[in-house]
Amino acid sequence: MTLFHFGNCFALAYFPYFITYKCSGLSEYSAFWRCVQAGATYVLVQLGKMLFLATFFPTWEGPSGGYDLVGEFLRATVDAADLGGLQLALGRGGGAGGTSHPRGRPGLGQRRAPHVPMGLDSNISLARHVAAAALLWASGRHDLPPRLRLPLGGLLAAAAYEGFLTGWAGQALGLGPWGALGLRALGAAALGLGALRLLVPLLPPP
Amino acid sequence: MLEEAGEVLESVLKASCLPLSFLLFVPAVLLLLGPPPAAEAAHEFTVYRMQQYELGGQPYGTRSAVLNTEARTVEADVLSRRCVMMRLVDFSYEQYQKALRQSAGAVVIILPRSISSVPQDVVRQFMEIEPEMLAMETIVPVYFAVEDEELLSIYEQTRAASASQGSASAAEVLLHTATANGFQMVTSGVQSKAINDWLIPSVEGRLTGLGGEDLPTVVIVAHYDSFGVAPWLSHGADSNGSGISVLLELARLFSRLYTYRRTHAGYNLLFFASGGGKFNYQGTKRWLEDNLDHTDSSLLQDNVAFVLCLDTLGRGNSLHLHVSKPPKEGTLQHAFLRELEMVVAGQFPEVKFSMVHKKINLAEDMLAWEHERFAIRRLPAFTISHLESHRDSLRNSIMDRRARIDTKALTRNTRIIAEALTRVIYNLTDKGAPADLQIFTDQMQIQQEQLESVMDWLSSQPRAAQLIDKDSTFLNTLEYYMGRYLKDVKQHHVKADKRDPEFVFYDQLKQVMNAYRVKPAIFDLLLAVCIAAYLGVAYVAVQHFGLLYKMIQRLSLKTKQQ
Repeated sequence: MTLFHFGNCFALAYFPYFITYKCSGLSEYSAFWRCVQAGATYVLVQLGKMLFLATFFPTWEGPSGGYDLVGEFLRATVDAADLGGLQLALGRGGGAGGTSHPRGRPGLGQRRAPHVPMGLDSNISLARHVAAAALLWASGRHDLPPRLRLPLGGLLAAAAYEGFLTGWAGQALGLGPWGALGLRALGAAALGLGALRLLVPLLPPP
Repeated sequence: MLEEAGEVLESVLKASCLPLSFLLFVPAVLLLLGPPPAAEAAHEFTVYRMQQYELGGQPYGTRSAVLNTEARTVEADVLSRRCVMMRLVDFSYEQYQKALRQSAGAVVIILPRSISSVPQDVVRQFMEIEPEMLAMETIVPVYFAVEDEELLSIYEQTRAASASQGSASAAEVLLHTATANGFQMVTSGVQSKAINDWLIPSVEGRLTGLGGEDLPTVVIVAHYDSFGVAPWLSHGADSNGSGISVLLELARLFSRLYTYRRTHAGYNLLFFASGGGKFNYQGTKRWLEDNLDHTDSSLLQDNVAFVLCLDTLGRGNSLHLHVSKPPKEGTLQHAFLRELEMVVAGQFPEVKFSMVHKKINLAEDMLAWEHERFAIRRLPAFTISHLESHRDSLRNSIMDRRARIDTKALTRNTRIIAEALTRVIYNLTDKGAPADLQIFTDQMQIQQEQLESVMDWLSSQPRAAQLIDKDSTFLNTLEYYMGRYLKDVKQHHVKADKRDPEFVFYDQLKQVMNAYRVKPAIFDLLLAVCIAAYLGVAYVAVQHFGLLYKMIQRLSLKTKQQ
């Protein structure tokens, strides 16, 4: 990979985070250090998760190209720890700004992928993580109407298993790497819209 | 909009002087969470390097082994410092020369999976080119690869990228250059260097005749090594697998005859499978020196009846006895010639037999036939072969494979030689045996299956002199095989002189080559434009996120009202 290509991929992967940070109003609260702290929390959670995964879920060693459904499902369950990490970060954030600054999560579940789709994938993860953070934040509110509990829980579970579900569907439908990426984008968009639909009535009108 | 763009630019500039911890943090995350950087679509395949050796101070073949350049095919306009890929099917010496003249970085020649599927004229043409390729001064590495689907696809893609875009429009050319795949060819090995103290082994064995001290000796010689443009691809079925298989069959037959007292002849038989035959018969040369100059008693020293060299006997309907001096009447040499003629005329009238007389040319670098080594030392010798000329390119080609051997012809040739030899050493003609007397029948039958299996074994592996050392499986098997029939089987070794080496071999003859997919620079440029557009869209989308928010708010209000 040339330096120029690295620059391209870097821009593709990180500029959306930057734009989100700048334009979502976060920057007005000068929440930069908060984001760094959240990121550090995230890294620690990931480290713990990786240790756990490496200890209890050795790599799939079946025929190449196969999809280890049970193993992936269990791994996705461990990935639910992400939400715990997010909750932790939100708690540290004090609920004021209320959103974390999670990074793209390439690796672990994924197979060898070239860099440009990985950059795009990180953008998709941004949307997913923002949605997950919003959902988590909402679940911690005291004025949450009880009738919303179930859909909220469902959406949280969907957020946790979204990567697993789309990965499995992509494998089952025989989509290529780009098709799987599109599927993930659709999944993240659906999750985001669902979260918006659920949360907008809770919020005061802007 | 423009102001916003300016804002973004400003923040980008600000972002470039972010706190140090953040800069440390990003790569750490990348390192921790990213998968190992996968080299994109690398295809790994084995390549066989062209010969590299020196003979009598003269270098032959390629001079280099290291390769790390981008691939092209000959269709490309610029070949300099590129790795030129060619397929055997459309290989020509002109194109090869053109590539080297344009100072190509390397040449990779793709051979088809099975040589026998190649049209005969292509094979013939390539065989003619081989010695010229070796003689030409080649500084860059030349490799041979056996094709597989992946490699073919790489070749096709490279050719598509190399083809000139003369007639296409500018936009098409731009798109083509942006999307075309390039391949970077990289070999894993280091630069080739001379192998010090390489030993060329040869094997000798004997059958001692009956009675007396001073029996005449018949020497039967064949060189076992093969030669071709690439050592790892030279299987040398006809040259000289056929010679060795005939030698082994003769050893089997005569060892049977020599076990019975009634058929034990008054001749010593000395068998010699020589090494380095393709390098001016180095094994034979040293063997002769050892036997004639350095020892007192040797079968070669006194009373050698004649030396029979076997070379390329695996096909065709003709046999030629190559001599450097026509044998005089009354000598055993002449008797053998006469018996050969008689056997061919009496039993195999379809075979064309002739004697070919060629004087030894000491001015030439290479001796023509193996018997010349003996003739120089004043031993009566000749070579029997189905080739009429020593210049036949079949003797030095990688195209000389098992499929080119006609086992029937090989069996017939073995039989002719065995019968003629028997008639000489038992003196049958003078005892009044008829011309069409068949000796090797029934129990003493020449076993075609045996010859076939020996041929299969010989041609299943490359036997280039650079690849066979004294502990190699091939040589052990050969020694074992000869030991089954012959007595006093032992190895002889040749080592080149340190100061003035007669032959020098080089290593790195077989390597693993990687083809990495690389994109042209313009592709990155195009990608940068696309990413910038994408980011612009993302920016606008985030800026106007309120629209979506409001829409959903309205939607939820509507459902509430209902």
